[in-house]
Amino acid sequence: MITLLLISIAVGLLGSLTGLGGASILTPILVLLGIPIKEAVACGMVAIIATSSGSAASFVRERITNIKLAMYLEMFTITGAIAGASITLIIAPVFLYFLFAAFLFTSFIKIRSSFKAYTMPEKQDKISKWLGLEGSYYDESTKQVIKYRCTNSILGGFGMFVAGLAAGMLGIGAGAFKVIVHEKVLKMPAKVSSATSAFIIGMTALAGVSVYLFSGLLNVTLMAPMAVGVTIGAVVGGRVLNKIRDRNLKILFLVIVTLLIIQMLYKGVTSL
Amino acid sequence: MNSPGLGSGESKLETIISYILIIGVVVSVILEVIGITLYYGSNGNLQISQNKSMFISGQNFFTFLVDQTQHLLGAQNALLFITLGLIILILTPYIRAITSAIYFASEKHYKYFLITLFVIMVLTLSLALH
Repeated sequence: MITLLLISIAVGLLGSLTGLGGASILTPILVLLGIPIKEAVACGMVAIIATSSGSAASFVRERITNIKLAMYLEMFTITGAIAGASITLIIAPVFLYFLFAAFLFTSFIKIRSSFKAYTMPEKQDKISKWLGLEGSYYDESTKQVIKYRCTNSILGGFGMFVAGLAAGMLGIGAGAFKVIVHEKVLKMPAKVSSATSAFIIGMTALAGVSVYLFSGLLNVTLMAPMAVGVTIGAVVGGRVLNKIRDRNLKILFLVIVTLLIIQMLYKGVTSL
Repeated sequence: MNSPGLGSGESKLETIISYILIIGVVVSVILEVIGITLYYGSNGNLQISQNKSMFISGQNFFTFLVDQTQHLLGAQNALLFITLGLIILILTPYIRAITSAIYFASEKHYKYFLITLFVIMVLTLSLALH
């Protein structure tokens, strides 16, 4: 458990430093250490509630998270997560290896999403308008209040269902994928997108955990050090080094992700 | 230091929710740490165990919750602390949804009250049925 605790802290730290996932890295590492993948997935899902709630709290306090928008999107992610987790319980582990490898690729996408200025969509569809999917936040770096509004709420909802499905199946936050849906489909500003995503992930993970809880997969000697470690790592990373975004660190992270993809594919192929 | 009333414009709700989240996580992490320490105390090692007793079992979350709280008195069981940490963790987002629902109802945001109610119902059903 000590090893696992230390690995979890490192992963949580690295995850928050690079702005990329926690459990999505931890689960393949557990598999590498010989833990059955379904157990790793179930425990990862629990760890995510902790990290997400921890990091979401500060965003909420800083008024960056859009709670209404989050509630709307959570309708889709939780149904997705419950469906996804239920699928994981019944399918053969071999599918999970390949799906996991495929999902790890999404880590590469977020790295390129740049900090370009936000432009509001000119038109808002009727449903988004009816729901009042808009808001504003105070941007620390530019010292400006940024107003925004969202559109494509139905397509966005569908995207979030898919994100929830993946999250539930693989026991991950699927944060990178959620952020893409937020920014490209719903047209949310980058900061609101990450903050709202962290918020939603906690609820989505709860939905996944509700399925895994009594499935006989939740090993407490695995779950406890993971939850503690990743949370400590994420909190420390978020507090101390949030402003430092080291390029080398990102490259290191991507090297790790690449190795994990290869490992998952290898596991998948050899267990065919 | 923060500009008040920004975000989605629900300032009070945001403050309450941020406290719920942070308290939930802190309490649950503390319980987990106590649990791990006790586990070390009784087992003499910190090996990851594949023993059946280390897996969570039960019928549904709500009966599980009552069960565990009944064991609370006089308990020094490592497993119990870890399980309680897990329960608190599960309850954290759940309580934040219920709080939001109450808030939306009191502010007469009925659209959002219904949306939040839907989320709560799905979660409750899933926790009760699995």
